[in-house]
Amino acid sequence: MITINADTKIATLLKENPASLEAIISISPKFNKLRNPLLRKLMAARTSINMASKVGGCTVKDFFNKLEPLGFTIDNKVERIESTAIKQVPPFMQNINAADIIELDVRAEIETGKDPLNIIMKAVKQLKAGQLFKLINSFEPVPLMLLLEKQGFESYAETIDDNLVYTYFHKSQGAAIKEIDTSNASEGWDEMLLQFTGNLETVDVRHLEMPLPMLTILDALDKLPEAKALYVIHKRIPVFLLPELAERKFEYRIKEVADGEVYLLIFKK
Amino acid sequence: MFATTNTSVKNTSYKVVLPFYLYAAISFLIATIFLLTSTRAFLGHYFQPQILAITHTMALGWGTMIILGASHQLVPVLIESKLYSNVLAYLSFIFAAIGIPMLVYGFYVFDMGWPSQWGSCFVAVAILSYLINIAISITKSKSENIHAVFVFTATVWLFLTVILGLAQVHNFTQIILPADSLHYLTLHAHAGIVGWFLLLVLGIASRLIPMFLISKYNNVKLLWWIYALVNLAMLVFVALFLYPGNNEFLFIPVLLIFISLSLFIYYCYWAYKKRIRKQVDEQVKLSLLSVFMLLLPVMLLMIVIIFLIRSSQQNLNLILTYGFIIFFGWLTAIILGMTFKTLPFIVWNKVYHQRSGLGKTPNPKDLFNNNIFKIMAVAYLAGIIIFSIAILLYNVLLLKTGAVLLLFTAVLYNWNVLKVFMHKPSKL
Repeated sequence: MITINADTKIATLLKENPASLEAIISISPKFNKLRNPLLRKLMAARTSINMASKVGGCTVKDFFNKLEPLGFTIDNKVERIESTAIKQVPPFMQNINAADIIELDVRAEIETGKDPLNIIMKAVKQLKAGQLFKLINSFEPVPLMLLLEKQGFESYAETIDDNLVYTYFHKSQGAAIKEIDTSNASEGWDEMLLQFTGNLETVDVRHLEMPLPMLTILDALDKLPEAKALYVIHKRIPVFLLPELAERKFEYRIKEVADGEVYLLIFKK
Repeated sequence: MFATTNTSVKNTSYKVVLPFYLYAAISFLIATIFLLTSTRAFLGHYFQPQILAITHTMALGWGTMIILGASHQLVPVLIESKLYSNVLAYLSFIFAAIGIPMLVYGFYVFDMGWPSQWGSCFVAVAILSYLINIAISITKSKSENIHAVFVFTATVWLFLTVILGLAQVHNFTQIILPADSLHYLTLHAHAGIVGWFLLLVLGIASRLIPMFLISKYNNVKLLWWIYALVNLAMLVFVALFLYPGNNEFLFIPVLLIFISLSLFIYYCYWAYKKRIRKQVDEQVKLSLLSVFMLLLPVMLLMIVIIFLIRSSQQNLNLILTYGFIIFFGWLTAIILGMTFKTLPFIVWNKVYHQRSGLGKTPNPKDLFNNNIFKIMAVAYLAGIIIFSIAILLYNVLLLKTGAVLLLFTAVLYNWNVLKVFMHKPSKL
């Protein structure tokens, strides 16, 4: 069994031992959402134990206590600085005009099983100085808060009830949405997706029989405008495509959310 | 369970597949060492201990093992389903891995006692496990696929080959066959060569070659014709074996095979013509070359039969060359090429699929050294040409030269395979 720490992703736990699902749900009723396979798919890969403990209003220790009996080895060394748990109403929440609040409700999007990150990023990018972004959601989106924090956003989550959370994002003074340094090749999936927000073309090849997925993707890449990225939904990591991409001077990022569901982001450097 | 909602397209675990590759690589190395130390055996009759040992190291340890490994991975992809059982896959590896050395040892010292008897039984169990695994996987899948039908039928032929071989081994110590073991050698050999290797390679290559060329060409009808012709050729051959007539009749199966190969070459030609990828890499080139290499043994076989008709005499060194070109030529060429079109990708998946999403991952092609591959290909081609000529000329010095080149090929092959195996993830 693997060693886990506060940074271990929920997806890793579920993959390693499916019984951890029930164990996690038993920690807090808020984790009942994980029963929904779509939500699980979206959230589990992005959420670490540390983040989840904040969503659930419990501690990392609670997780370890439940997971240790399942055979996970606990590594207590990784301690995360509690960065998003702003419990007091921050200054940016005061003196704000209703007209300056941009609202986005992603509950319907999540209900239908879509990843809302794309439309959230679109809205965030269009945010003007002094405006406040209000995200309406069914849970506290800790991973998103962390992601946007890196982009210079302050956030504040207001829990209305168990199924309704308003999260406010405010651009810190002077901080523009950072254009991500593309020379750094180690940028991860989320950062790259963020960079191509609004410039994505999507192709779903899950229903196609071999070798049609590869041909379809290569066709789509031929037609892809220079500044855009191709978002591919695939059944598995298409390993044989990767050398072809390299040959055509395309870069790629891969996100495997579950067996049978893999996303690819393909773009020109 | 909740966490596993969609397992229908799960890849076969690398843990199942990789042992086969490693075993095959070592077998190839051992076979080439045998080849170098037994060159004199190639001056005599083909039914000879060392030749039998080399042939079975090549046919089982090298060819069959790597095909079993690769097809455990490939068949689920072809039939859009998952492998029925990992346990059966492990069993087929373990039994084959133990059985093959026992059998080969038995041949080498020509002791048909317990090692070769048990060895052949273990091999039979291994193949039966594989056959059951493939059969159930295919039955459980919803999509019918001609390539999977090729693989399944080929495995049935392999099983028959192994059962006959088992009977031949046991026939040395107790009489279970109506005639002596040598009598059944042609049937055993051709059920293996044509029924198993040829049918299987045609079935798999007809999928992989267009895929690696990124070709839109597809012709299922033609593939069914090829399938029918190869099987018909084998059935006619079995009938002629059981009810021998004039030697002239032997041309019928050879002709059928010749037609099916011509159709396959036609298929590859169109796949090549309609390819999107303009630059064909070395691995695919070597595999395409092996397709043409297939014509060589067919022509040799025709000459052998002509000799047989003219003088009812077997031309021994032609037959040896025939066997050599099949196992060291055609079969080895396609494996040398296809190893590096499959293994690096399996290892890549093993190393990186968990880490995907983190950032940039290396190109699977960079897991092996392409320059070593090129040197290996040159050494290999020189080796088989020199060795084949040497058998025909009864020249010991040339035999040694060819064998050294082939040993060098095997060393480079193993080097590159180990390089892939040892791949450690780059710092992300």
